[in-house]
Amino acid sequence: MTTTAPAPTTGPSSVGGEGLPIARVDNLAVSFDNGRGPRIQAVDGVRMTIYPRQTLAVVGESGCGKSVTAMSMLQLVPRPPGRFDRGNIWFDSAEGPVDLLKLSNRQMRSVRGNDIAMIFQEPMTSLNPVYTVGDQIMEAVLLHQDVSHKEAYDLAIKAMSDVGIPEPHQRIKAYPHQFSGGMRQRVMIAMALACRPRLLLADEPSTALDVTIQAQILELLVELKATRDMAVMLITHDLGVVAENADVVCVMYAGRVVEYATVFELFADPMHPYTRGLLASIPKLHERTERLVTIKEVVDNEAEFRKLPGADKGVRPWWPWHDAPADLKARDEPAGDYYLQEVRPGHWVGVWRTEAVADHESGPPDLAFRKVDSETTA
Amino acid sequence: MTTYIVRRALIMIPTLIGMTFLLFMLISLAPGDFSMALSVSGGGQMEASSRAATIAYYEDRYGLNDPIIVQYGRWLGRISPLKFGVRDQRTDKGELVRPPREVRKPALWKLFIDDLPNPPPPDLEAFAPGQEPARVYRLSANDYARTRTTYLSAATRFEVEAGRVLREQSLDKFVADDGRLDGAKPAGFEGFLFTTQRLPSEAVEALKADPDVERTFGAAVTAYTNALASRNRIAASFATKPHPEAGMPLIPRLVWLGKPDFGISVSRSRPVGALIAEALPVTLLLNAIAVPIIYFVAIPSGMLAAVRQGTWFDIASGALFVALWSVPIVWACVLALGYLANETTGLGLFPVIGLHSDDADAMRFLPSFAGGWRAGFLLDTLHHCVLPVACLTYAGFAVLSKQTRAAMLDNFNADYVRTAKAKGVSEKDVIFRHVFRNSLLPLITMFVTIFPAMLGGSVIVERVFSVPGMGSLLIDAIYLRDREVLLANAAIVGMVNMFALLLADVLYAVADPRISYK
Repeated sequence: MTTTAPAPTTGPSSVGGEGLPIARVDNLAVSFDNGRGPRIQAVDGVRMTIYPRQTLAVVGESGCGKSVTAMSMLQLVPRPPGRFDRGNIWFDSAEGPVDLLKLSNRQMRSVRGNDIAMIFQEPMTSLNPVYTVGDQIMEAVLLHQDVSHKEAYDLAIKAMSDVGIPEPHQRIKAYPHQFSGGMRQRVMIAMALACRPRLLLADEPSTALDVTIQAQILELLVELKATRDMAVMLITHDLGVVAENADVVCVMYAGRVVEYATVFELFADPMHPYTRGLLASIPKLHERTERLVTIKEVVDNEAEFRKLPGADKGVRPWWPWHDAPADLKARDEPAGDYYLQEVRPGHWVGVWRTEAVADHESGPPDLAFRKVDSETTA
Repeated sequence: MTTYIVRRALIMIPTLIGMTFLLFMLISLAPGDFSMALSVSGGGQMEASSRAATIAYYEDRYGLNDPIIVQYGRWLGRISPLKFGVRDQRTDKGELVRPPREVRKPALWKLFIDDLPNPPPPDLEAFAPGQEPARVYRLSANDYARTRTTYLSAATRFEVEAGRVLREQSLDKFVADDGRLDGAKPAGFEGFLFTTQRLPSEAVEALKADPDVERTFGAAVTAYTNALASRNRIAASFATKPHPEAGMPLIPRLVWLGKPDFGISVSRSRPVGALIAEALPVTLLLNAIAVPIIYFVAIPSGMLAAVRQGTWFDIASGALFVALWSVPIVWACVLALGYLANETTGLGLFPVIGLHSDDADAMRFLPSFAGGWRAGFLLDTLHHCVLPVACLTYAGFAVLSKQTRAAMLDNFNADYVRTAKAKGVSEKDVIFRHVFRNSLLPLITMFVTIFPAMLGGSVIVERVFSVPGMGSLLIDAIYLRDREVLLANAAIVGMVNMFALLLADVLYAVADPRISYK
């Protein structure tokens, strides 16, 4: 078992090209002005990597920083009160690798909705009530593609039929309030996909929908991902959705990545107590239990933190509510007490920067794994 | 949508009737009527009996001696475009000729005789031999006016004598302040339904025994007979249709369409319609300048304040507008007059009164440079408008600007704005296409409240700057108890209000596709 990470892969040359990821978030930190008191650190040293045709699920409870991470990729974090403290988000754009955080407003606008599109949680309020859905889809098309109004109209029709909206020729003239919630989310997806983005940020796309519609929307995303050669960053707190759809899972807590692995690995062998708590708290169909295990019960159990491989050498899972270990060798930098350790090849866990990992350098966790590929080879 | 508009328009009719009914009652039941205003303004010098005759004349002329509900019905019939009964006629000069009015029987006549004498049937040929119908009508109209006036003064003399006798009997409650019999005219709530009251038998005996009462009653009956004969004659003449009939028949002899007629102003003796036609353009001119200024200043500044929330512009514009809004209009007007317009106490930059210079009639419309600078009618009028418009606008910025700002801020944080940004829409398009478009509803509401006020005119501003607009017309009418003008004003403002509300509802549906009227 190795505790030594490979040489950090980061910088502009780490994205794009054959076999390379499409986007790489490196050491991202975002904080918000609280008005009074210290700034609130929403995201602190987050690292992740997304490959084309891959679904990266970002899991965590409300306020753990998963939406802020996604919004940062489009610079949609309101600034002020928000601020990018440090870090890079390397993205393989049409003009070569760029750092999304450094783009000017104008450059960012050409990325938004074009290279990277985003769909939001609330389909009820995310569409402008005073314009027809056709207008709103066409707005995105006309912004990014050099097409005539007529062509944009045809593209909008195409986008609507692609996401399974029946009778798009009639529905294109309808207003959002004339659609059901599921249909509205389809419109949102059609709008996001109209310009054929290479990365889709789906911020809890199915949370506000009822279960059958939820399944339809997620199936639609999987299907579109395959046909469009698109990467999806799926933000959710629903582990069922993760298990079904994700290739790679990134578990976040309190603004940091606590565990990062392929979906099979994570569900088979969760290593961070928080992840174990998450999984344990899901009711299972074939088990009859009086009550479910809560996350708190798991993370409050000191023994859980000693199960990590390398625990005997002093590698301890990072947990904000614990006192730092005695042998903490915190670096003189933000989030210097924390380190994303590759505990096992292809399996990262957030740990304290104790004596044992004091000189390790971490780059973003990097997994090109795709479920589809593994199924075809299997 | 069309069905909705039609339905709303139809609902306006009962609303308007209810509104004017309330106002009519309010004016009628308020103490003092215009004849009192008349006696205060000079009638006070008259001898009691001739004053009573004057008041009786005016009451008769304006129909004030009818029950209030009848008066209201008559007024409503006049302003309604849908009219019933015999059609009016219109002379070649455009004057409206109505069917002749009835002659009221003398008060208490049943005490003295069993039956009033009947005049012989009218004979137009004998009255005005060989004349053409229009001329016959004019002659009989003059004759009717004369005999009717004679009858009125005779009847008044009788009533004053009868009133004297009743006073001697300590029956003061049957006698009005002007000495005539009370109950012959409607007064207070009793006048609402009853025009005569029951007299005690001893009072009846005293009336019958008094020689002066008997004498004046006889004269009144004679005058009544003459007036009735004259009335029958003019009715016969009217029936020959000396003038072309006005309006358009809907159901022959029953219902016809005619122009609404707002009657004759009591204080100015001119048609109310003409007075409003003069005053309205003045008020519209002032407001056509003032309202766009308010909108063009307040909306962009409200938008900018929202976009730059918390910056110096937001705070400064908010503070300035609220400060302006708190300045009393009277004070502002007087300061403007004293410091800017008056030549001795101030700068003399602007004219002090009115909308035009004295020689405005002789001016060309546009400015001319040939032979020295001449401002011309247009610039002269604008020069006169500066101060009134300034006083009309300055208080209006605050509310509209704050409304715009609040509506914009509400929408800035909306989810669809985030969606638009995620699509790559530019900041400018986000503000105008997405945020402002959704902020329109409160602005429409504001527009509707401003619109009727435009027609009402600002009483204070028009008064201080002596601008003869709707505000001046209204305040004069209130002072002089000019019921016709007040009612016309209320009807017009009420109608405009209702149309403005309807317009707002239509605009809502246009601005917000979620609103539909099906």
